[in-house]
Amino acid sequence: MRRERLLFVVTLLLCLLGVFAVYSADPQREEGFGTKSFFGRQLFWNVVGWGLFGVFRFSDHKWFLKRGWLWYLLSLLALGAVLLFGESDETGAKRWLFSRSVQPSEFSKLALLLFLSFYLSQNRDNLGFWNLLVKSGFFSLIPAFLVFLQPDLGTALVLGVLWFGTLFVGGWQGKKIGFLLGIFASLLPPFWFFLKDYQKRRILAFLDPWQDPLGSGYNVVQSQIAIGAGGLVGQGWLSGKQTQLRFLPARYTDFIFASWCEQLGFLGGITIIVLFGILFWVVLDVAQRAKSLEDRLFAALFGIILLFQVSVNIGMNMGIAPVTGIPLPFVSYGGSSLLVNLVCTGIVARIASEAEGEGGKRWI
Amino acid sequence: MWNERMEEKIRWRVSFVFWIGLALFLLLSARLWYLSVLREEWYRERSERNRIRVVFQQALRGSIYDRNGLCLVEDVPRFRLLFLVGSGDREAVLHRLQEVLGRDIVFSFRERAAGEVVLLEDMTLEDVVKVEENKSSLPGVLIEAYPARNYRGKEDIAPVVGYVGKISAEELEALGRVGYRVEDRIGKSGVEAFYENLLRGDEGYRRVEVNALGQVVRVLDFRPPRFRYSLQLTVDWELQKECYEALGKRNGAVIVGNPSTGEILALVSKPSFDPNILSRGVSAKEWLDLVQERSNPLVTRPTQAVYPPGSLFKILVALAALEEGVVGPGESFFCPGYFEYGDRRYPCWQRSGHGRVSFEEAIAKSCNVTFYTLGLRLGPERIARYAQMFGFGGDPHIDLLGAKSGLFPTPEWKRQAVKVMWYPGDTLNLSIGQGYLLVTPLEMYLLLSTVATRGKLYDPHVLLRVLDEKGSVVREVKPFLRRNVALRSQTWDTVIRGMEKVVTQGTGYNCRGLATKLAAKTGTAQNPHGKEHSWFGGFFPSDRPRFVFLVLVEHGGDGSGEAALVARRIVEWILTNRG
Repeated sequence: MRRERLLFVVTLLLCLLGVFAVYSADPQREEGFGTKSFFGRQLFWNVVGWGLFGVFRFSDHKWFLKRGWLWYLLSLLALGAVLLFGESDETGAKRWLFSRSVQPSEFSKLALLLFLSFYLSQNRDNLGFWNLLVKSGFFSLIPAFLVFLQPDLGTALVLGVLWFGTLFVGGWQGKKIGFLLGIFASLLPPFWFFLKDYQKRRILAFLDPWQDPLGSGYNVVQSQIAIGAGGLVGQGWLSGKQTQLRFLPARYTDFIFASWCEQLGFLGGITIIVLFGILFWVVLDVAQRAKSLEDRLFAALFGIILLFQVSVNIGMNMGIAPVTGIPLPFVSYGGSSLLVNLVCTGIVARIASEAEGEGGKRWI
Repeated sequence: MWNERMEEKIRWRVSFVFWIGLALFLLLSARLWYLSVLREEWYRERSERNRIRVVFQQALRGSIYDRNGLCLVEDVPRFRLLFLVGSGDREAVLHRLQEVLGRDIVFSFRERAAGEVVLLEDMTLEDVVKVEENKSSLPGVLIEAYPARNYRGKEDIAPVVGYVGKISAEELEALGRVGYRVEDRIGKSGVEAFYENLLRGDEGYRRVEVNALGQVVRVLDFRPPRFRYSLQLTVDWELQKECYEALGKRNGAVIVGNPSTGEILALVSKPSFDPNILSRGVSAKEWLDLVQERSNPLVTRPTQAVYPPGSLFKILVALAALEEGVVGPGESFFCPGYFEYGDRRYPCWQRSGHGRVSFEEAIAKSCNVTFYTLGLRLGPERIARYAQMFGFGGDPHIDLLGAKSGLFPTPEWKRQAVKVMWYPGDTLNLSIGQGYLLVTPLEMYLLLSTVATRGKLYDPHVLLRVLDEKGSVVREVKPFLRRNVALRSQTWDTVIRGMEKVVTQGTGYNCRGLATKLAAKTGTAQNPHGKEHSWFGGFFPSDRPRFVFLVLVEHGGDGSGEAALVARRIVEWILTNRG
């Protein structure tokens, strides 16, 4: 019970913090509660999300795991539909369905997560070369490629990391993993030519944002200014100049961390980092204690993509990771992302409750 | 095969992931510490710079008044339409603007500052009102007031007042350090240029807090632009206008002044220009049209153009001859209509000859033969020495930019410049003001002025006093005695009597019968460009001169004609209105 309660509390804190953060950076704050303001919508999605959390906590997650194939195929269909009928957002990327209410790429994370956990555990007797590298690679790269076409580099990367995490956690030999990383590294330069112009600019801007602080480096520079200007205790709730005067771009989505730090300073920022640290630890701890292999894989893989998204997002806010459009889980504004993360947490809570009492081996 | 060892391996890998995660979280925390605690100050300053924009406002310039307090030039507000780039959809705003103003507009799109584009310069008040009324539907559109010069005196006084223009790249390079900016106005000629330091005021600024859209959130502090000094000129605008009109359709120059202070009361140059048009900025083509026009209106004729002085120069020869004793006041000369020297005959302007004339009559009738004789007796070196004493070929010390000096030929000059020796024929030409001799009208004016004061030459000036913002006097310009030409009083008396006789008995018959004692001299300057230039200059009342005047009518023919008639009109006006 202890692990599960900790998981619940930390997630709830992060979600509440997210609603406050969205409120403070909300350009339509005056609209108040309701669907016109961003924080109102975030609150609504939180209600829905926590409902789903309850559903998954108290239902048998095995049922979902066993139908991994189904979710996987559905997500491919949705991603295909996005490419065919999807709607574009401000950046020109086609990411949305149903009049910009659903972002299927977020759900594809959940689908792939469920599918890979199930697939690996089903084939646990021959986790050799073919099953792991080729088959899981094949299954992962299809949605990743579809997402990449939208284009949504960030989510495509998350899917890629999910696959790599599978290889790693799945017990693939260290030498082979090293070899694979080497191949990736050598593929990077030609990959450059397939990137869209704005993606190239982002990467260059990451390498030297002050080169063009008003152009491609703008995001990186402004978010660092916001964090730096916050100081130790911040400029005060709702009074950060970068956020309130709207110099900070995407201040209620991708750069919400910077906006938060500008207002509440180092102390506010470290709170978020510590909460995520605890969450990450709990999730991996649950993975260690899980009774079945699919549970263990699910929790571990969720922990990995959680770690990846958190560190890339916070890293890009602080100028030590490239700007890739990955939202901060639970905190950034966005319904699809929040729902997916709460569903995953719900399943992990279920796994934790089932593993509770098992004791498990000490592992740290 | 699945076994406990593999299960163990997976658990080990998961814990490995944990350690990686821990390292990453520590890295993030360290970076956060670095940014928000260690480099706080640096980033806070960047944040300030982000949101605070300083908008400079052009310095005002002081007004310029004439000696009677009439306003000649002042700053008036004009309006320009700005668009702040990045605030709102540019195309939509421009479209809406066309609707609001009710016509198709060619926008200039000049980039004034970073992120600010000028759509319309010099808007009409009607347009300003229309835009202000529809401001809510025109995001990012801003009306900015800026000062512009309004010249109330136009062509008539332009050569004195001058004009302002945008600072040029070269001027900016030279003056950038003393606070001039790209958009600034700077005096380009006349008083505007010469007293730039006094006329230019302080620029204003507005520090505003802006948001990322460039919209002004609030004004942090504000200093209005101001001027420091206004100038009052010695020029009498009404007299100036009268002089300009007196020239009629002719080109030429008129100078009127006070000999005992150096004050210039009128300084006319024709053709002239409208400083309003030049100050607004002219296109390259308009500029070329102005400059390439045959009689360039941008040349200030009184100070920048040179002409042969003709007989007007005989005043100097007469003074030199008397002072040097080469002629006695009672001596008489015989003029048969020509002067024989060597195997050539040099004609008098009156072919039938003047017969026997006294020295004073020779001045009155401008008898060439007499002055040929005097010239030969003096020799070119002595004439040159006197010319130098009266300031010919030197700096006139007037407070207008670009004043030139004429050319005074000497035997040495001729050897060096023309590479030919000086012949007695050159002396003959020089003694009647022809040949190589070139003067500016101002130099002739200064000669007349010196005669009027019997040797005292005051620096000519157009600035009377400097006023501060409130209009109280901070500086009066005092007469500056440049030099005293000490000649015997008999010399002055004789020449002045001769000049009086010019009017009463001689070539100045067109000025006969005025209600004052006038001393004057005519001049008819032959020149290679066409009909003779017509000179007439003098002073009155001749016993205690209060006014010196000089009239030059380009290609006006005989000096006793056009120029004398112009001068008569001016003198009559002065006697009626300023007597």
